[in-house]
Order: sequence, then C-alpha cells, then structure tokens
Amino acid sequence: MTKPDKTQLDDDDLELFFEAARRDAPKPSEAFLSAIMADAQTQLPNVQTKPATLQKQGWLGSILSAIGGWPAAAGLATATVAGVWIGFTQPVQLETLSGGLVLAGDYVISDASYVLEDLTPGYLGTSIFAEDEG
Amino acid sequence: MALDAYEGASDEALLVLYGNGDPVAAQLLTHRLAPRELGFATRLLGGDRAEAEDVVQEAMLRLWKQAESWRSGEAQVSTWLYRVVSNLCTDRLRKRRTVGLDVAGDPEDDRPSAVDSMMDVDRASALQDALNRLPDRQRVAVTLRHIEGATNPEIAKIMDISVEAVESLTARGKRALAKDLAGRRKELGYDET
Repeated sequence: MTKPDKTQLDDDDLELFFEAARRDAPKPSEAFLSAIMADAQTQLPNVQTKPATLQKQGWLGSILSAIGGWPAAAGLATATVAGVWIGFTQPVQLETLSGGLVLAGDYVISDASYVLEDLTPGYLGTSIFAEDEG
Repeated sequence: MALDAYEGASDEALLVLYGNGDPVAAQLLTHRLAPRELGFATRLLGGDRAEAEDVVQEAMLRLWKQAESWRSGEAQVSTWLYRVVSNLCTDRLRKRRTVGLDVAGDPEDDRPSAVDSMMDVDRASALQDALNRLPDRQRVAVTLRHIEGATNPEIAKIMDISVEAVESLTARGKRALAKDLAGRRKELGYDET
C-alpha cells in the first residue's frame, strides 16, 4: 500500500478547509447595515420630487411651448419680417437696382429697358454727338 | 409589506428602482449584498473585520452614486461590487506594506461566527493564515472560486483577466495552500498514518 503524500493535501482535504471558511463567514452587525442604509438615504436620487419643482407657465410660456419653444418662435419672427419686407418693397426698386434686366416685361415699361443706349452708354454718347452734328 | 413585494426582483432591478428614488430597494440590496461582500473583504484583508466594514461601506456608497447612471446589461451588480471591493482591499494591503504593518493583521477574537465546532474554527483560521501568505491576486481568485462560489467566467470579469488566467491563478493558489496546510495536519485532526 502506498503511503499518502504528507507534503500536500489533496482536493478533498482542502475542501474541508473551504467549507469551514464558508461556515465561518462574519455576520454583519446591525450598526454596519444601518450605516450603509443611511448612506443610501443621503444619496437617494430625487427623481420623484422633480415634477413639483416645475414653475407654472404664463400665457406667453404656454404659447411658446405650443409652438416648440424659443427657437421655433425666432424662426417664426424671421419669416414674418421677411414676408412683410417682401410685401412692402416695390418691385420697381428691385428693377432700379438690376438696371431693368431682372423683372423686365412684368412690372415696368419694357420698351425703355431694352433701349440700346441703356446697355451701351458709349453708343448713347455717339448718338448724341451725331445729333449735334446733324 | 413593500420588502416582500421586491423579494423576487434581481439586484439590477432593485438598483434601477433605487435610482428612481425608491429607498426600500436600497434596504433589500444592502441585506443581499453587504454580508457577502463583508465576508469577501474580511478574507482579503487577513481577517481585519473593522477595515473590511470600511471597505464594504465605501463600495456600497459608490454603488448608490452609480445607481442613476447604471447602464442596464453592462455588468451584474454583484460582479461590479466584488470588483470594487477587491480593488479597495488591494489598495489597502499595498498601503499597509508601505507603512510596514503586518500584512496579515490580527483576526478578531470576538467576531460573530456561525461556526459551531472548534475543528471548524481551527480550520477556518488555518486557511485564513495560509490565504494571507498567498500573493494578492491568487488570494482574490481562490477566495472568489472556493469560498464565495463564483464561476471562472465571473472571476474573469471581476478581476478583468482571461478565464485561462483565472484557472492558472486558482491552480497555483490551491497548490500553495495545500502545501502550506499540510504541515498542520496533526493539529487540525488529520490522521498522520
């Protein structure tokens, strides 16, 4: 019969130690558990009270939230101003700025717009000179 | 009673409830997790019960702070907590060494215990002594595997290493324990013949 190896324990022997350690688990005191729960209380997220902190909205706030807040209001205001400007600005002014090329035919006297002298001032000068000569 | 209603809930579900402002969930989580973590920390810290309580309280505080931003499915609550406790214990052991204190510490005599026989007390104490002589990582792996009952994949997550590395650590740790404890066969009641 072979003699057991005295220099090492086998797995079964070791398991007895592990079992003893599992049974020897320290039991937490009430004070220790209470301290942990007190920490939990101080760190408790305040989610449930958030709705109560909302301020009551006035009539302006109600309108704003109905259309999507300040960004939407700013867009609306820009569109309104642009609309008013387009409405009040007479096309003839645009005609003046463009030299009669852009809106020709719709709003102004097209005959005057396409006179050759308008497009080539040099030619106009020549004709005046020619008239003087004539 | 509210506590009974939560009994079947998972740790993660309870943490989400706490994150939504439910204090009852924290009570249940404390009773579920703290005793386990206390045992684990006590073993890693060489039986120093008071320091183990500090570590577990600190780890639980971190858990409460994480609750609101806890990402569902990313990690199990118990795994996360074991990792925090393990890291905190390792830090404390390192500090002990730098200030020249005894690594093992003195186990407290008056600690509450469920052990009902002197043989168990002796074996648990002998195992603790032997665990104290293991390198930190072997001690963590062996404690998690053979005392806390964690699986190798769980230990791999807790220690942030591969399963193969866990197997290697636990195997080396067990060999060292077996050799260390063999010298105490007689005093622990093993037959010498």
